[in-house]
Amino acid sequence: MGMRLKNLIVLLPLIFLFLFFYFPLISILKEGLWNNGITLKYILQVVSNNYHRRIIFFTFWQALASTLFTLLLGLPGAYIFAKYDFPGKGILKALLTVPFVMPSIMVALGFIILFGRSGILAHLIGRDPGILYSWKAIILAHVFYNFPVVVRMVSSLWQRINPHYEEAALSLGARGFALFRKVTLPMLMPAIFASSMLTFVFCFLSFSIPLILGGYQYATIEVDIFTAIMTLLDFKTGAALAIIQISLSFVFMYLYLKSLDLYVKAEEQRIFKKPLPLTLRELLSVNGVFIAAYSAMVFIFILSPLMAVVYHSFTYGGGFTLEWYRRVFSPEYNPIFGANSITAIRNSLFFGFSTVLISTLLALSIAYIMYRWEFKGKNLFDALVMLPLASSAITLGLGYIKAFHKPPLNLLGTWYLIVFAHTIIAYPFVLRAISTVLKKIKPGLKEAAMSLGANELKAFLKVELPLAFGGIVVGAIFAFAMSIAELGATYMIYKPEYTTITIAIYRFLGSRQFGPASAMSVILMMVSTIAFILIERTGEEIW
Amino acid sequence: MVRLRLEDIEFKQEGFELNIPFLEARPGEFLTLLGPSGCGKTTTLRIIAGFEKADRGRIYFDDIVMNEVPPYERNIGIVFQDYALFPHMTVCDNISFGLKLRKLSKEEIKKRISWALKLVGLEGFENRYPEQLSGGQQQRVALARALVIEPRLLLLDEPLSNLDAKIRERLRGEIKRIQRELGITTIYVTHDQEEAMAISDMIAVMSIGKIEQVGSPLDLYYSPKNEFVAQFLGLSNILEANAENGKACIGNLCFEVKKEGRVKIFFRPESVYIKKGDDGEVVDYELLPGRVRLKIDVDGEIIIAERFLDEIPFLIEKLPKKVGIKVKSFSILESFP
Repeated sequence: MGMRLKNLIVLLPLIFLFLFFYFPLISILKEGLWNNGITLKYILQVVSNNYHRRIIFFTFWQALASTLFTLLLGLPGAYIFAKYDFPGKGILKALLTVPFVMPSIMVALGFIILFGRSGILAHLIGRDPGILYSWKAIILAHVFYNFPVVVRMVSSLWQRINPHYEEAALSLGARGFALFRKVTLPMLMPAIFASSMLTFVFCFLSFSIPLILGGYQYATIEVDIFTAIMTLLDFKTGAALAIIQISLSFVFMYLYLKSLDLYVKAEEQRIFKKPLPLTLRELLSVNGVFIAAYSAMVFIFILSPLMAVVYHSFTYGGGFTLEWYRRVFSPEYNPIFGANSITAIRNSLFFGFSTVLISTLLALSIAYIMYRWEFKGKNLFDALVMLPLASSAITLGLGYIKAFHKPPLNLLGTWYLIVFAHTIIAYPFVLRAISTVLKKIKPGLKEAAMSLGANELKAFLKVELPLAFGGIVVGAIFAFAMSIAELGATYMIYKPEYTTITIAIYRFLGSRQFGPASAMSVILMMVSTIAFILIERTGEEIW
Repeated sequence: MVRLRLEDIEFKQEGFELNIPFLEARPGEFLTLLGPSGCGKTTTLRIIAGFEKADRGRIYFDDIVMNEVPPYERNIGIVFQDYALFPHMTVCDNISFGLKLRKLSKEEIKKRISWALKLVGLEGFENRYPEQLSGGQQQRVALARALVIEPRLLLLDEPLSNLDAKIRERLRGEIKRIQRELGITTIYVTHDQEEAMAISDMIAVMSIGKIEQVGSPLDLYYSPKNEFVAQFLGLSNILEANAENGKACIGNLCFEVKKEGRVKIFFRPESVYIKKGDDGEVVDYELLPGRVRLKIDVDGEIIIAERFLDEIPFLIEKLPKKVGIKVKSFSILESFP
């Protein structure tokens, strides 16, 4: 490949990131740290304010608690998946992929319908269960999203622990819990730590869930920034909060990436112990009951919020209705979000596909550069392309408002700025999916192709691209799922004509119209389900 | 047939330095790079292929400098240690990969594929995928894929090291046969001295970062230049002695070295003959299939001798304490500075 083309391939992603990530980031830093010279005034104001301090504290606390509960629910699942083969395991495994693609606003709506004052659970037990608009709902929703990650990572490592270690310990007299605590657990630690860090970061930067389920009392930093800017128009406070959040999440993200390295290293071990098929006798013993109970709980936990939304979308005053769908598909102008619903659906799909296109190209070129090329300053390149992982949707939205509201880049209110925001949010995940497959392709294959007369581009197109295809598809679906689920950043930079499905749902929720919100959510769910089926079809191990 | 020549090659990478002042493979020659792991033999091969760039020096194919020619224009065939077969292509697609890039006609491609498959004895495997083949079969496909493009140079990077001993021996015979048949200049990388001896016209023995000696297998085996080459190619006896009047002696054992002062005398165990006498004391012996390996103490130095059982004038159960020794051939090693 020519030197000039190579340079271009390295430069293009960097230019894109500089314009649509680093420039907005710098704008935030300037807003929060600059007043005729560098100042810590705004940061100190935030830290010394009781309200903001409580929110920062709560953000930590709920992330920690969510992580603990996630482990509590995930570890038994990891054990079952690593050790046993049982009827229905395939379905259960597929089910655990569902949260990956389901937008959080929809799940939040499901929780409202389930746990609300006049919700399904309240009907069943005859009183308000007291879950909604409190920390309990937030943590429950966070567990919903993250326990599949724990099951996936920990069981994958568990299967790879060389059985000789446990056998050696058994021969030396260790048994039961002592064996687990002294031998098995330490070897599982990389997976437990990495999945915990991932959960923690997710919860720390969580937006839609605390926004909708937390009520007035329970907000995260992310929600606080959003309120400061969108309601109070207090950019200084918003920027100061954003700077605090970025600094913290940067540290957490660093820890996560380090723990991920350890995990990947541990997972590279060749030994792979096939789970044992459960015999009929075991099926009827304590183990069988345990597995059945766990499976049932996962079924209920994952499906009930979704089913609640579907149920609600067909219900009015206790009876069956199609009214909500009629409203969703009516071409009438809807004053609640300043556009009609068809437009919202079209917008979501359009942003989704555009995001897929750009983020896949971006991630593919970055992944290729990271794993195939050596050049001066490559460490810097790696750091620059990974940093956006530590930013959050709301921070990005704030940065975009500050950076793109005036010439030379007066882009606020354009459709492509929304696509770029979605791309910045989605591409680190696409990058990860593509990197995983690209790392598995031996560099020798490219060299073999080159020795046979293929130049680097041809070797890539004919050998590496087909082999990486599964990972690219999974990455593209992730990008699509994240784009259609995105709420915070889009909300901050959109114009009514670019209303998306999630924004429409949020607006419906804001005016307490749960029926239309449910019908809209069902449409979102159908799109997500297609994404889910595609992931299942590729057979690529995102598991 | 191409003449390969490396001149003044210098290659540096963190913690490793490779220097090759001169190396040549004559047209049609089978040259093996032999050395321990980490010595730079694979790097040398990759420099020849164009996957690594030497910091200095020139690579010639015949009289043309190849330094700046990218790998895909060098017209070389490579077989990698892990074969690097494209997992998403059938045997047929793997073999035709290079032909399609050369835009040959469909008929020509078909003709060449069947030629290549016949050459490596894999007719009927066209539609299998690599994962459906055994290691030995994969190796043959890799060889066919490299040869079908009619390369000027064949490069083999430890192509047999992932195979079982039995298949390894059979395949190395076949590689040799095919190379002879096609008369293609071949560079072969291995760390296995037996393999190198069996297959090569010439061997370049490498220690870390440099070539110690180049020569025919017999040359290297019986007249190594230094201790490294001697010891890398098999069991050796190396004795240090003082020579006076052109003669160096250890006990009763004397060598006509035609030199004065300190010398290093080298000979292989099979050059040591056993007779009746009292030149040395038998310290220990090992039975090998059909042979015996004796450790004999001669004036404080241990000499290893290896003989067929029927060549020694004793019953092995009734070995006397002392035996006579005759060393039939020897050479003098370069002394290390």
